[in-house]
Amino acid sequence: MKPIVEMKNIVKIYDNGVVANNGVNFTVNKGEIHALVGENGAGKSTLMKILYGIEQPTEGEIIIDGQSVSFKSSLDAIDHKIGMVHQNFMLVPSFTVAANVVLGNEPIKNGFIDKDQVLKVTKELSDQFGLFVQPDAIVDGINVGQRQRVEILKTLYRKAEILILDEPTAVLTPQETQDLFKAIRTLVQQGKTVIFITHKLREVKEISDRVTVMRHGKMIGTVDTKDVTREQMANMMVGREVFLNITKPPMKRGEKRMEIKNLSYISETGRPVLQDVSFNLYAGEILGIAGVEGNGQTELVEVLTGLKRSAGGQAFVKGKSVLDHTPREVRQQGVAHIPEDRLTNGVALKESIEENLIVDRYFSAPYKKGMMLDYRLIENKGKELIKQFGILTPNGKLPVESLSGGNMQKVIVAREFSSNPFVLIASQPTRGIDVGATEFIREELVRLRTAGCAVLLVSADLSEVMSLSDRIVTLYEGRITGVFPDAAKVGEDELGLYMLGIKHQTNEEMEKFL
Amino acid sequence: MKSFFESKGFRELLRIVLAVTIGLALGFIITLFVSKDPVGAYKSFLLGPISRLNRIGDWLEESLTLILLGLVICIVFGASQWYIGVEGQMVLGAMAAGCVALYVPIPPLPRILLAFLAAMIVGALWGLIPALLKAYYNANELVTSLMMNTVALKIFEYILKAFIMTPKSRSISSELIEKPFRLPTFIPNLPFLQGIREIWMKQTSVTIMVYIVIAAVIIVYYLLYKTPFGYELRTVGLNTKFAHYGGINVKRTIIMSILVSGLVAGLAGAHLTLAIHNKIISNMTSGLGFEGINIAILAGNNPLGVPIAGLLYGYLRAGSDVMERSSDVSRELVFVIQAMVLLLVTAERLLPTIQKRVADIKENSENGTNGKPDVKNVKEGDSHVA
Repeated sequence: MKPIVEMKNIVKIYDNGVVANNGVNFTVNKGEIHALVGENGAGKSTLMKILYGIEQPTEGEIIIDGQSVSFKSSLDAIDHKIGMVHQNFMLVPSFTVAANVVLGNEPIKNGFIDKDQVLKVTKELSDQFGLFVQPDAIVDGINVGQRQRVEILKTLYRKAEILILDEPTAVLTPQETQDLFKAIRTLVQQGKTVIFITHKLREVKEISDRVTVMRHGKMIGTVDTKDVTREQMANMMVGREVFLNITKPPMKRGEKRMEIKNLSYISETGRPVLQDVSFNLYAGEILGIAGVEGNGQTELVEVLTGLKRSAGGQAFVKGKSVLDHTPREVRQQGVAHIPEDRLTNGVALKESIEENLIVDRYFSAPYKKGMMLDYRLIENKGKELIKQFGILTPNGKLPVESLSGGNMQKVIVAREFSSNPFVLIASQPTRGIDVGATEFIREELVRLRTAGCAVLLVSADLSEVMSLSDRIVTLYEGRITGVFPDAAKVGEDELGLYMLGIKHQTNEEMEKFL
Repeated sequence: MKSFFESKGFRELLRIVLAVTIGLALGFIITLFVSKDPVGAYKSFLLGPISRLNRIGDWLEESLTLILLGLVICIVFGASQWYIGVEGQMVLGAMAAGCVALYVPIPPLPRILLAFLAAMIVGALWGLIPALLKAYYNANELVTSLMMNTVALKIFEYILKAFIMTPKSRSISSELIEKPFRLPTFIPNLPFLQGIREIWMKQTSVTIMVYIVIAAVIIVYYLLYKTPFGYELRTVGLNTKFAHYGGINVKRTIIMSILVSGLVAGLAGAHLTLAIHNKIISNMTSGLGFEGINIAILAGNNPLGVPIAGLLYGYLRAGSDVMERSSDVSRELVFVIQAMVLLLVTAERLLPTIQKRVADIKENSENGTNGKPDVKNVKEGDSHVA
């Protein structure tokens, strides 16, 4: 196999002095699936932006198909048959799938866009590569998995031979991930080359032929995937052993902190999403909610934190009702919330890190002084939290959007943990972030629980739920199907039966443990 | 500490200067085609506003209104409310101020204060309708506020024609507000300023509004950037969902942003009646309300940039007046220039692009080859490591 992409000694120093790539050598062979892994901030995306012409390297050489190139913009890269699918999709929501695919290079007939041809080429591409889309559907109405396929089709329409996928699975459900993998294999069979950025080591093992590991802007090594274990890869990424199994001190369960009774929620479209959900949350425990995504977990969290209105039921913290109160009222009862969708709910991207850290407390002393906000104090508190939670940034005045995904999540975690919560509701706290940040956040969750906080953990990562939780509740189609008082004693297979609704515990069985 | 020349403020300023220069140059090219004496026309446009004391006065007065209007837009746009009901708030504010100044039988000082107060309250209350509709029914504030403008203008004309206009007046207007109830000149009545004061008062009518506007700029800046309300407003503007999640009362913030902007819009209205026209007169605002948007854009939505943008914009307007009167070029030319300037300023990538070009050219001439790009021409702005 001959190399199709060679990047030699790439150095990238940003204007603000951040060294993103430091002498990286990166080679991809024709027709392979090449995984590029590393923690958030390791320089993977920067390297790929250089390859795609969005960023220009400070030093180094790029050779595509034996030819030395210098890209001024991504248009140059597209000319060299490179295509990139970004993490955040770049589609026109009001256009059809087909119109998005051909956008910028539409087939023309008699001076007008040839609508039939547009649909036809999209259909052909879709069939050829097994990327199933509905060409005449409006993008606004299709789901994330389909949107991603549209993005891939866009690059194929522009004759891409080398496809860069930037963390394509971060936004996908497990089922959609499998579909994507199938499509990637089809692409490679037809001679395309795929570069796959990720930090999910399980996916690396599953899909890639070779893997390149980056850490702190440097390349650590490229190996054949079959020759390394996940533990070895994790080790290369963080430069130390990662404990995928969390050790936590034995639980000291305290008083009842949150009581949820017969909670129900009906979606805007009239679908009952939560039905008759009851459980209690105790001090000093992590209660994990296990369930296949889309079984009401998201809504459970949003109803409990005041973001959505319930359709019935009750919820109490410290004996006071918190259901259908405003988010501020819920927070004032000591409920902290790590939201599932951090970019929409968790931060204001264009606002400074400092200001993002005070959204739940700016209105009270010491942040508010008289009629004004004490910005000197806000700056200092920001500095403290940045240091304490290891947020990687030159200073707290920068907008959150300048941070990598893992560091954005640390901003949220720093804010929510530092409010000394009475109850913490954490939804997908480690989704889409790197190993180092994941490990840090998990340790902090356990530390908080051991210090006596009541933690409700919702995660799509079953191993996370199983290893962190003291007690597990399974949710299936908006109902509780089982409760497991000792998380350590339940097996993955057993849990799966309850998550898929195959087995149910009776109300009497559950009652004493809820 | 970064030096001033590397600061964001300097770059903003450079961008505006660049845009204005290009706009003026293009304007001159057009003048070449339409005028018999293009140089003379352009001279009267560029130097006219400062050629005489009374013209300087006119320029300053108009700029004061523009600055207030720019502040209004900074507030509502800061909250991402595309609210453009300033015209209506201003015209009703002008009416309220005028009515108090004309008809409330109390001594001068309290009467003037009351006139201001009335104008501001009316301005704020007029914004309440679109604000409530937006907050509670999610009605598009752009549409409702625009419609409310028409309603306000009609109410204004009706009140003026039905109740205020006197049979003997030659235009559709009220009587002149009596001297003691107008705003005094901005130069204080101190012995050593006596000479200047007399010259100014003879030729211009720039009032103490100057100080009120300066105060308004500072207050709005502090309000937006140093108070809890400003934090709420900006956070709602940047990400409504995040604001809601964090516990901010989004509805109240939206309503308050429009109400507070209404106070300033009312103030601008009071300025029209009490300082510029000295009476209530038909077609008083003549679309001025919309100029606030341009000012705010020029100022990058920063209250501290608004005075510069207002003075600049006011200068272009004043210059166009002079040019129209003293040459064969009509004031519409200046609209073209204004539009060009705005286009160039809003083309946010203008300066970075030029910087990059310059760096590229430099580099190519130095290396003579297609050398590798260096640090200087790296695209600025979104440098982040992922």
